[in-house]
Amino acid sequence: MRQIVIKPRRGFRVPVEAERISPDVFAPLSIEEIRSLQVWEGNRKVTLSDLFEISGESEPAPPEETVISLSGDFSGVKRIGENMTCGKIAVAGDVGMHAGNGMAGGEILIEGNAGGWLGREMRGGKIAVLGDAGDYVGAGYRGESCGMRGGEIRIEGSAGDYLGEHLCGGTITVVGDAGDFPGIANRGGTIVIGGDAHLPGAEMASGTITVRGRARVLPSFQRLETVEIDGLRFDKFLGDLVDGGKGELYAASVEEG
Amino acid sequence: MIIEGGIVYDPKNGVLGEEMDVSIEDGRVVEESRDGEKIDARGMLVLPGGVDAHAHIAGGKVNTGRIMRPEDGRRGTEPRTKLLRPSTGYTVPNCYAIGYRYARLGYTIAFEAATPILEARHTHEELEEIPIVDKGALTLFGNNWEVLECVRDGDLDKLAAFVAWGLRASRGYGVKVVNPGGGEAWGFGGNVKGIDDPVPSFNVTPREIIRYLMKANEALRLPHSVHLHTNNLGKPGNYETTLATLRAVEDIAASRDRQVLHVTHMQFSAYGGTGWKDFESKASEIADYFNKHDQFTMDMGQLIFGSATTMTADAPLEYANARLLKAKWSNHDIELEESSGVVPIVYGRKNPINAIQWAIGLELALLTEDPWQMIMTTDHPNGGPFVNYPEVIALLMSRPKREEELATLHELASKRSSLPTIEREMDWNEVAIVTRAGPAKILGLPEKGHLGVGADGDVSIYEIDPEKVDPSRDHKEVKAALARAKYTIKGGEVVVRDGEIVAVPQGRTYWVDASVPEDQAAKVEADLASKFAKYYSIQMSNYMVQDAYVTRPRVIKAGVI
Repeated sequence: MRQIVIKPRRGFRVPVEAERISPDVFAPLSIEEIRSLQVWEGNRKVTLSDLFEISGESEPAPPEETVISLSGDFSGVKRIGENMTCGKIAVAGDVGMHAGNGMAGGEILIEGNAGGWLGREMRGGKIAVLGDAGDYVGAGYRGESCGMRGGEIRIEGSAGDYLGEHLCGGTITVVGDAGDFPGIANRGGTIVIGGDAHLPGAEMASGTITVRGRARVLPSFQRLETVEIDGLRFDKFLGDLVDGGKGELYAASVEEG
Repeated sequence: MIIEGGIVYDPKNGVLGEEMDVSIEDGRVVEESRDGEKIDARGMLVLPGGVDAHAHIAGGKVNTGRIMRPEDGRRGTEPRTKLLRPSTGYTVPNCYAIGYRYARLGYTIAFEAATPILEARHTHEELEEIPIVDKGALTLFGNNWEVLECVRDGDLDKLAAFVAWGLRASRGYGVKVVNPGGGEAWGFGGNVKGIDDPVPSFNVTPREIIRYLMKANEALRLPHSVHLHTNNLGKPGNYETTLATLRAVEDIAASRDRQVLHVTHMQFSAYGGTGWKDFESKASEIADYFNKHDQFTMDMGQLIFGSATTMTADAPLEYANARLLKAKWSNHDIELEESSGVVPIVYGRKNPINAIQWAIGLELALLTEDPWQMIMTTDHPNGGPFVNYPEVIALLMSRPKREEELATLHELASKRSSLPTIEREMDWNEVAIVTRAGPAKILGLPEKGHLGVGADGDVSIYEIDPEKVDPSRDHKEVKAALARAKYTIKGGEVVVRDGEIVAVPQGRTYWVDASVPEDQAAKVEADLASKFAKYYSIQMSNYMVQDAYVTRPRVIKAGVI
């Protein structure tokens, strides 16, 4: 395994677009070449080493054997691990928006919190967040008809609004609560929410959403039956009937009115 | 400037692949050029600049497409350079990208296919921002209340006066008719089902609307004929409506040396079957009819697999699309003039309907014997974006390519069309006709689409040697060469070199100024004054396209006096 360690030299007042921080990009490059990769800080083009201290083995290695360790506050750094297909990124701290965009394989582990759009349009691989995640986890970007199509996202804390919007495949697990409209326009993915959720599954066409806490359910869902899963009783709903949807929604506790 | 030693195809002037020089001076083709600039085109294909007679490139519905489709904007982004502004989009590119991409293909003029008069200011604001190419816009008349009233009253003179007024008000180039009567019926949630189905409230039929507008068009001796999007477009079995429409106007004669009617994106109007289950091609019936009636022309409206954005003044069609596809849908009511809609679509190779549609476009082009009756288009971006023209040309030139493609499609494309049996492969002369000389003649642009003395100095040069390359076998080379012009020359200036833009001049906007007798014009003005007072949401003074909107006009005179 080749390990590359990246630490911010300073705080970032404007966002850094760092889609180059990815095992696929780093793998064929020497450490010097990695240091001179170009990134944007706001409207300024800079090199990676202008912003970050970069250390590690110099010799190139296959991307599957490349591990990138980010240490420090990356909450102002966007697009980490974009389109990665293999390898690993481990973050000891927070990450900014759009981490794991379009990721097809490999693994991202975030020990702190993630910003919005985590795993946007992800196709495969795994993302784990030990803290909270922002809005639009696993969603499609503006206008897209498909967000995440495959892979796994697990958030130990809570997620923001529009979790898994336009989900077309894959699995998202949130151990804590989800905000407004989780699984909106779901088209075939699976979402499990450990805590509470507000108006899950609006406009969903297919797929499954399970809320183990309390959920406020839209009136356009039809209550079918009560089922037991892992020792917990759930009300099962069909919806969203406002658009002829055939999605399944399970809620352990339903908030009326 | 002298373009030296290229293999020139100039069908209008009978030049069929001759090695010759082309000289340009002061923006026009001349016998002999005195200045020193030389372009070495030896071993390359030299054609007149491409002419796109039908594309949706500017105006309200194009912009609605952009607004609805931020996901499309993300595709095809190119950052600005010292010379170029940034590009975005694939099916609905931004204005700059439209100009750059046409120029890279070797196209030098393009016509926006459908502008309501009410939206014409917007259309021209966008046309002004499209760099390099010349352009123009066709004006919609087929559902306009003033038109419907003139038809109802049988007042052809007043109708001609209104058409002339509408072209001036919109700075438009020609008469576009979309689903005549259907757009008006859609205002009440309905549609017309055929050419003899009366329009609610007006009690006129599509047959009468088309005939009257064609007669008015010919009375005004406009450079282009009526440009028709048929009734029932996009529906199974609609070829009967298409043929009935053509039979209904066989007695009308053209006033100029051109077709009397252009039927646009015929692919969408050549369908058999009683529904989607027995949907099939009727391209051969349509082509047979055209082979016997040389007064009519058409363009392909070829389908391209992948992402497209349908946009049309045929609003009921878009409603049906949106319901069928469960897609995003925009619907627009354009007051007394039209309705319109926009729906994104993805055409799939394994979708039987899309596969048959793809075959129909090619069948039409290949079964219509006279290439002067046919224009290569994709009805950008309805059938697919115009950047795919090289793909379509390669398909027309190569039967092996068609067979390779058919093998990847749903099997019904082969079973429900005659495409597998068609042997014809277009040659470079025919390609030059369906992309240059033909559309220029059909639009009535004597200075475009050829390289004779006096023609505009618009030339495209491709790095492919027609004497060495066999397009049937080497179709990949053909497609690659056509996608990236070695040189594009616009008005005597090199704008593309080696596939890259090197200069960004501003093109001209064509519009037609047709004169009519004063008494008829006065009648129209009186009608319109009352319509603006009663119905329109804006005043007439805010409606007309003023000269400030068209900074580089090329005005074509026409009319009855």
